[in-house]
Amino acid sequence: MSGGTMNCADAVLAIGAWCDGELTGDAAAALSVHVAGCAECRAEQASLVALRDEIRTQVPRYVAPPSLRALVDAELARAFADKPADAHAEAPAVAPQRASAAREAFSLSQLRTWWTRERQRWFAAGAFAGALLAVVVGALTGVVARHWGSDDIAVAAVESHIAATLGGHTITVASSDRHQIKPWLSARLDYAAPVIELANSPFVLAGARVDRLAGRPVATLVYHYRLHVIDVFVRPLADADDAPAVTMVRGFTVARATGAGMEWRAVADVDPPLLAAFVERLASESAAGQPAAR
Amino acid sequence: MTDRASFEAQVLPHLDAAYSLARWLTRDPHDAEDVVQEACIRALRYFQSLREGGARAWFLTIVRHASYDWIERHRDRDGGDAEVEVAADAESEPAQIVERRGDSRALAQAIAALELPYREVIVLRELEELSYKEIANVAAIPIGTVMSRLARARALLRQSPVLHAIAPRRSGGER
Repeated sequence: MSGGTMNCADAVLAIGAWCDGELTGDAAAALSVHVAGCAECRAEQASLVALRDEIRTQVPRYVAPPSLRALVDAELARAFADKPADAHAEAPAVAPQRASAAREAFSLSQLRTWWTRERQRWFAAGAFAGALLAVVVGALTGVVARHWGSDDIAVAAVESHIAATLGGHTITVASSDRHQIKPWLSARLDYAAPVIELANSPFVLAGARVDRLAGRPVATLVYHYRLHVIDVFVRPLADADDAPAVTMVRGFTVARATGAGMEWRAVADVDPPLLAAFVERLASESAAGQPAAR
Repeated sequence: MTDRASFEAQVLPHLDAAYSLARWLTRDPHDAEDVVQEACIRALRYFQSLREGGARAWFLTIVRHASYDWIERHRDRDGGDAEVEVAADAESEPAQIVERRGDSRALAQAIAALELPYREVIVLRELEELSYKEIANVAAIPIGTVMSRLARARALLRQSPVLHAIAPRRSGGER
């Protein structure tokens, strides 16, 4: 026990705080001295870290179902009934009523419809884009896509994503403000990359970096979704090809959308329909012209 | 009167967090929807009390209150804290509804089986990643209590029979 200023009883509490990122300065230093000299507390520390990691990787953080979003929309519509509807607000899908009453009507049929539609869209997009991309990429680069749904740009994008994630260097300019990111990117690219912040979204803009794709520098926007890092590669649309695509490369999802002359390609370990919806929203917001940032 | 766009911009991004917290506290997907809907009504009513930047903790505080009110109203129905089927319905839901992080349900069940005061600090800390100060505000307890409840919750989880992977060390020292 070489800590001197910290005994095991104090250390046990301090280890918890340390795991939670709440221990700073002298206390953190005293703990590391104590832990270095105390095998029991070292084991305690390892055990707590293991528990924390297990919780974060195995325990679900639930996502609000569409039925709830519709109910909340309905509440908003009711609360702001005298006001003109917001341009982005959709009409409430159900009349204001208690969730329990609406549930049977909504969640079963609508949820199923929504899920089926998402799935169909995904498969249709994947099959169509797979064929089309093989032709386009083959023509562009002289290389035929290796197999269905996979193309060289997608592979390169995934490799770039993996390299950045493994190297811990996902972000060069860290900001959630597109007005800071945009000029930074413009100074490093030969095109103006649109930077989109999504309001009302769990996809949070975290920063950007510049990568190389197909031999050209490309803007990489980095978003955080829960604990996932999403890289979005934005570059000028090389060919007249507006098929959205979802492919899987090495277990990563690559989702693609186009808008305003740009191609948006998102790479992450996120469910395909979710990533596809995200990248489509980016492209469509870009095409629509993002409203002034807050 | 509050502005709808402002409410949507500040509060709605935290709807998933709200639903997740309500679901962990009520341990029922449908009740969680009721709770969050009720919380939204309250949030609309008290929107003026929201200060800049603190929307997440502010909304989660309201959701927690609504959850506790719900639990109080349904105390007889909920029964004890023992056997809980947590996330059992996760299998039947579309992948988007539950953000799946792994296959093991044992740990989720162990957390769901925790008594409410321990369950909520673990959920707020590990799933919502709130700071001690934010947890203290949301749960209306001192920071010291946040720390001791987290320590107790973790000791209980490590003692939990469903978890073999994590060695329950020093389990005697928690009493």
